[in-house]
Amino acid sequence: MRLLLVEDEIDIQSFLRRSLEEAGYQVEVAPDGKTAQRLAVEGPFDILIVDLGLPDQDGISLILRLRQQGVRAPVLILSARRSVDDRVRGLEQGGDDYLTKPFALAELLARLRNLLKRNSPAASEATRLRVLDLELDLLRREASRGGQILQLTQQEFVLLEYLCRNAGRVVTRSMILDKVWGMRIQPDTNVVDVHIYRLRGKVDGAGQQPLIRTMRGVGYVLKDR
Amino acid sequence: MSSKTGRPAMRSAAWRISLWATLAFACGTMVVFVFLQSFVAGDIQRRSDAWLSGEVEVLGDVAERTPKDALYGRVVGEVAELAAREVPNKEASETESNDSVFFLQSGSDGSLKLWVGAGSGDDHLKAIRTTEIPPDHPTDVRIPGFPVPFRVACLRADDGSHIYLGLSERDELRVLRSLRFRFFLLWLLIVLLGFGIVFLTTRRMLSHVREITEAASRIGHSDLTARVPATKRNDEVSQLALTLNRMLDRIESSMHQLHTITDSLAHDLRSPLTAIRGKLEMSLSTITEGEQVDPIVSAIDELDRLTDFLNKSLDVAEAKADALRLTRSAVDLNELLRVMIDLYEPSMSERGLRVSLQSSVPVRILADAALLHRMVANLLDNELKHLPPDCTLTMELRGEEDSARLILEDDGPGFDPEVLLHLFEGRVKGRDSDGHGLGLAFVDAVARAHGGSVAVSNREVGGARIAVTLPAFPEPNSHSPLLASSSSN
Repeated sequence: MRLLLVEDEIDIQSFLRRSLEEAGYQVEVAPDGKTAQRLAVEGPFDILIVDLGLPDQDGISLILRLRQQGVRAPVLILSARRSVDDRVRGLEQGGDDYLTKPFALAELLARLRNLLKRNSPAASEATRLRVLDLELDLLRREASRGGQILQLTQQEFVLLEYLCRNAGRVVTRSMILDKVWGMRIQPDTNVVDVHIYRLRGKVDGAGQQPLIRTMRGVGYVLKDR
Repeated sequence: MSSKTGRPAMRSAAWRISLWATLAFACGTMVVFVFLQSFVAGDIQRRSDAWLSGEVEVLGDVAERTPKDALYGRVVGEVAELAAREVPNKEASETESNDSVFFLQSGSDGSLKLWVGAGSGDDHLKAIRTTEIPPDHPTDVRIPGFPVPFRVACLRADDGSHIYLGLSERDELRVLRSLRFRFFLLWLLIVLLGFGIVFLTTRRMLSHVREITEAASRIGHSDLTARVPATKRNDEVSQLALTLNRMLDRIESSMHQLHTITDSLAHDLRSPLTAIRGKLEMSLSTITEGEQVDPIVSAIDELDRLTDFLNKSLDVAEAKADALRLTRSAVDLNELLRVMIDLYEPSMSERGLRVSLQSSVPVRILADAALLHRMVANLLDNELKHLPPDCTLTMELRGEEDSARLILEDDGPGFDPEVLLHLFEGRVKGRDSDGHGLGLAFVDAVARAHGGSVAVSNREVGGARIAVTLPAFPEPNSHSPLLASSSSN
């Protein structure tokens, strides 16, 4: 996967490059809009990460110009602004995504994966999800572990489905809030954790191998091995 | 017309101004007309007096020269009749006989000697006797049976008899009456015309002012880049518009400056925060387990809290300057609250708190959904942190005509009276609070950015009460009904 990172801050550039390469991306870095434009037109990239605050031009204008020049790759916008302006929303509707700084690496990676998945030819939507001995029937909205039906509420099922779809990968609290509850908030209480504890109480019964793991400082992961 | 705002014309300033202007104008013209009328009346009187004096002298002359024989009465009578035909201001009489003029000669003993005129002349003589008529000075005499007085001139003949010539004032009064009537019609016409012109002019002028007011209030509530309409003329109103626009230019530029400052502050702080967080996360991934994990995890937590604090502080600062930027869309508050409560309920019951929402129908408003999410999260975080176990939180959502009200009531200890006074300042926090005390200041900031308000009080039965009011639509002039039904209990 070829990825173009357009970011002028050296510090952010270096740690992003390292962690993206660790995640298996082939990373090219552009410190400003001009270089980004040259690189993007030269070599085809699968995905772009563009910081809005570039030294020589506005990130949105860069994205719009690249689109005009035929660059089709999805873009993950990094914004240091608090409020997301209408133009970003417009791009979001056009298939791109945004992330406000500072962010969790896990969230950045998850959003990149989502963007790539969105733009790849749609695989036929599965009606069942299976992670180890955990099985979700998406049509009947039923979850079972080792053949045993789990008594989940509607909300818990959605949460478990989200964890299953990202099995083996870390999901952060703000990702859960965004995808399961549809809101980008940062509560300073443990609201998400309590939901996870409750779900864990139902999924990981006594004597069973615990599936939902807490990644301290980062988030949660549903084990797939 | 002023139908745009639905205000009746009779309550407008234009109406009042033209009413007073017209009143002054009407009084002025009325005084002029009264003066003119009295001048005309005096003039007519003088003319008829001059005629009477002249004629009575001629008649006296004739009476003196005519021999006092059988023909005397006929000769003088004919002369008098001839004179009567030359009466000034005369109108054709309805009757054959001439009743507007009479000639009367009384003997030295006071008996009626000669009479020319309508009727017997006895009444006239009787009335003349009771009135003193100085020679050469015609006087008004009222004669029974005649509604209008006569002007009578008197001449004393050498033989001691008196010659009287009387002229009815009927024609004079008629002329004056018709003059008054015409004056009145003219006056009415001028006054109405004047009123119309003043009203239309002032209304046109004031409609510019109203346009400016409407534009200014629109600007005040939503769009700072808009300007009030300016006319090409260089009058006071267009100067007002120009001044307002210049003021708006300055406000917009300082607002822009504020945004630039907060944006660059946010940017300058966020970039290092992002780098620090990234590095902490990377080092966390290299260590598997053990004692070193704890400090890194708590550092990340602190960093996240710092970020949230930074966001809220800047939002509160911008909202206090009325500069918080909103991206509005149709939001169903009922749905939003249900999702939020669904999110918070487990944490609440974990702490032994009960929460309930009293609302059934959708309450749709035009608002910034992301900010509302954060606002409600702040309210619930606040309750979650401050309520002791075994308390109940009741949330009630009411859709009113053009606003929505969200009321939170709990049966906890309530607010510290001291804290209550400075709740929205963003610095205070309750005694046991571990937050930054920004929560309610942020709630207030979001409500105000939407044109709403927050009222915080302690309930009489104990516990705290927070009421958030949000207008359904951003436009203050808009009277469209709320999309939801008006009551929801």
